[in-house]
Amino acid sequence: MSEFKALIEAVTKGDISKAVAETQKAIDAGGFIQAIIDEGLIAAMDEVGDNFSKGTIFVPQMLRSAKTMQECMKLLEPLLKEGDTSSKGKVIIGTVKGDLHDIGKNLVAMMMEGAGFTVTDLGVDVSPEKFVQKAQEVEPDIVAISALLSTTMPAMPQTIEALQKAGIRDKVKVIIGGAPVTAKYAQEIKADSYGADAGSAVTEAKKLMGIS
Amino acid sequence: MENSDIKEPQGTKLGKRKLPLGSPQVRKTRTRYVWLNVLPDDLWLKVREGETISEAIHDENIELGGDCGGLGKCGKCRVKVLSSVGPPTVVEEELLSEDELQQGIRLACRTIVDKDLVIHRDEADFETEYFQILKTGHRPLVHPDPLVTKRLVTLPLDFQEDSLSSEWLSDLDRIKLVMLPEYKDLIAPLNCLRSLPRMLKETSFSGAAVLHQNFMLAWQKQEELGCYYGLVFDLGTCTLVGKLINLLDGSETAVVSCLNSQMRYGSNVISRLQYVKEHPHGLESFHDLMMKDINRITKRLFKAANIGPEDIFIAVAAGNTTMQHLLLSIDPSGIAEAPFSPVLTDGLVVRAREVDLLLHPEALLYVMPTKSGYVGGDLISVILASGAAEQDDDIILGLDLGTNGEIFLGNRKRLVTCSAAAGPALEGAAISNGMIAKAGAIEDVYIEDGELRYQIIGNIKPKGLCGSGLVDLVAALLHSGNISYQGLIQRSRKSGPNVQNEKIVKHAGTYNFLVATSEESYNQRPIYLTQKDVRELQLAKGAVAAGISMLMEEMGIRTDDIAHVYLAGALGNYVDVMSAMRIGLIPDFDPGIVSSLGNAASTGASMVLLSKNYWQMANNLSDFIEHIELSSRLDFNQYFVEHIDFPKANLW
Repeated sequence: MSEFKALIEAVTKGDISKAVAETQKAIDAGGFIQAIIDEGLIAAMDEVGDNFSKGTIFVPQMLRSAKTMQECMKLLEPLLKEGDTSSKGKVIIGTVKGDLHDIGKNLVAMMMEGAGFTVTDLGVDVSPEKFVQKAQEVEPDIVAISALLSTTMPAMPQTIEALQKAGIRDKVKVIIGGAPVTAKYAQEIKADSYGADAGSAVTEAKKLMGIS
Repeated sequence: MENSDIKEPQGTKLGKRKLPLGSPQVRKTRTRYVWLNVLPDDLWLKVREGETISEAIHDENIELGGDCGGLGKCGKCRVKVLSSVGPPTVVEEELLSEDELQQGIRLACRTIVDKDLVIHRDEADFETEYFQILKTGHRPLVHPDPLVTKRLVTLPLDFQEDSLSSEWLSDLDRIKLVMLPEYKDLIAPLNCLRSLPRMLKETSFSGAAVLHQNFMLAWQKQEELGCYYGLVFDLGTCTLVGKLINLLDGSETAVVSCLNSQMRYGSNVISRLQYVKEHPHGLESFHDLMMKDINRITKRLFKAANIGPEDIFIAVAAGNTTMQHLLLSIDPSGIAEAPFSPVLTDGLVVRAREVDLLLHPEALLYVMPTKSGYVGGDLISVILASGAAEQDDDIILGLDLGTNGEIFLGNRKRLVTCSAAAGPALEGAAISNGMIAKAGAIEDVYIEDGELRYQIIGNIKPKGLCGSGLVDLVAALLHSGNISYQGLIQRSRKSGPNVQNEKIVKHAGTYNFLVATSEESYNQRPIYLTQKDVRELQLAKGAVAAGISMLMEEMGIRTDDIAHVYLAGALGNYVDVMSAMRIGLIPDFDPGIVSSLGNAASTGASMVLLSKNYWQMANNLSDFIEHIELSSRLDFNQYFVEHIDFPKANLW
């Protein structure tokens, strides 16, 4: 771990040029690409998620770190061998029908990517039918549903119901989140999990996948 | 780190901020005002320090009883002072019993208001009631042409002896004949016709015709010409305000306000919409609640002018789109979800009785036009009050700050608006020790001689922070370095008298700021500003600031191009301009161009009431203004994120 200390620090601070330089250094030193990703970048983003959950950093800082990671990945991705990348799992994510809130969902998507998930972002105002259709197409491990208004929350159980009817509810885990959403609500509508913020959403997603 | 960017304050007192040379003073440094809270109905008056209670109340047209005219002789203007009060004067010792003095009974004409006071006056003495409201605030000059007019009409004698007249004219035809050519198509509603024979006889055929368009609503006695009032309502999600306007001279005769009874169903529009959606009788019960509130307000207003409901023929209501729907008992559910469609955006004229508003049976209610689900009749009223729609060259920025930050920018050439979901933080909600601006709320915070000081509404121990207090506090802590520009509460690395490190308390991996200890607070619980509270404020101010940025980009202008900035709404009226700029809620302006509009929604509604032209203008505005739906703009997120951090530089 300590091998990537400088890289981790640069990513958590969102220092793009330093992080890119550190990544290059690690590549030049002949390190395993997968190790740089897992023990460097993903470890850094874990820390970022924790800090965000605690409140010591906020949205702009988290975005900056995510951007930093993306820049580093640009160097690493071409070097990955076929089958080398072991995605932590596939996620489809979207904000429910009638709701146009974007930012929270984007943060979760970014942090999921940062944690090594393969994320398909369906955008906002996503109907239950669209969730089902995409789920059938992508065959995700996790369906992440966001709602920011108490008036649009009922679209969450509707979406879960639609997954049920399409016969794919058992094949996916459903995680929900958004300002008015609570853990209790997640239980009520029989979602599998609830993420209080972008950091904990990732932690919960990992739990659902049996990794942590 | 970030603090190196912050200039060391040089003995700056946040309470007395230095302004650039030549710029007009903003808030402080004028006459000091204190609050007078009149119970039992929780009326708030902002009064000049040093006035007696009688003087304070006299200016506001409230009668306390008493018949010596404030000479301190009759001993009838008794009030019970509930907050701490100094010893009685000699006169009071003479006129009041020892028991009464013990209970805090004082004479209003002898008691000087030199700090916030809470008084209780006997309900039996209630002649009129008042609610604190900012009455100042500019208003464009209104050329009086009220929506409803009264006109003296005298029918010539030869008409009256019908039997002898060669022309067999009906009563109504004779009235029309006298009122030619303007009212040749005069129509009288049934109600008016039924009472017409009696009223004509009672008035000896010379009376006051109450006219609305080409309708004669009533025939009244001549002396009723002097009793000529109209009503305006500002229908807020939290507060309802009613004003009685004298249509002869446009003056405000009385103002009454109350908490919106729908508050128990949630403090924001979304919660109301949800209730209506989920409950079959939700719309009906909200309408009923609102009409109960409004009719209670009007009853109190009528008392003030010693009139009755039948004396009022006209009212104008302005509110957010949802409240206006509820007033009209129209289902607002469409506003809840994208594409946020209201049932109508047009201005509407209805009979008052159709919405259960208790006025004259023929009275009319004008409901302001709106622009969209989230840009309501209240914002159109604010635009009218700001004069932006009559401004040719100067560009005006207006902000109506509450749960939704409604913003407009431009002038009569082009006017763009948006509604930024600021969230409830700016009204003190969603803040761990937040509260609305009422007794016990910290409303003003500053650091003086290294000490954190605050003013509390009602001069009691603090219960929490209201929006303006929150903005002030965060501004002060940014200034002292105890909050970083990224919003992190921290021990300041700076040294200096203003640093408040001893109040930074570690809590669950972050720091809280101790605003008041349990000994200092009203509820014996410490009051903290938590890290999460700062984050909530960052989101709120980020949304508003991003809205402003987007409108400026849309107009292709910079802050320098803006000639006036007007603030309105629950927060806008009370927030300190320098604090608002320090936290980045609004961009850096010359403070001299920023001013408060007072209760601008009701001011705009009054303008409509007093002038048909403004009603026309309001309706034109609804078409003319351009609305930018922020949530459908892809670049909004970028603007929003850019404005979440606080400005790095200190202004003061």
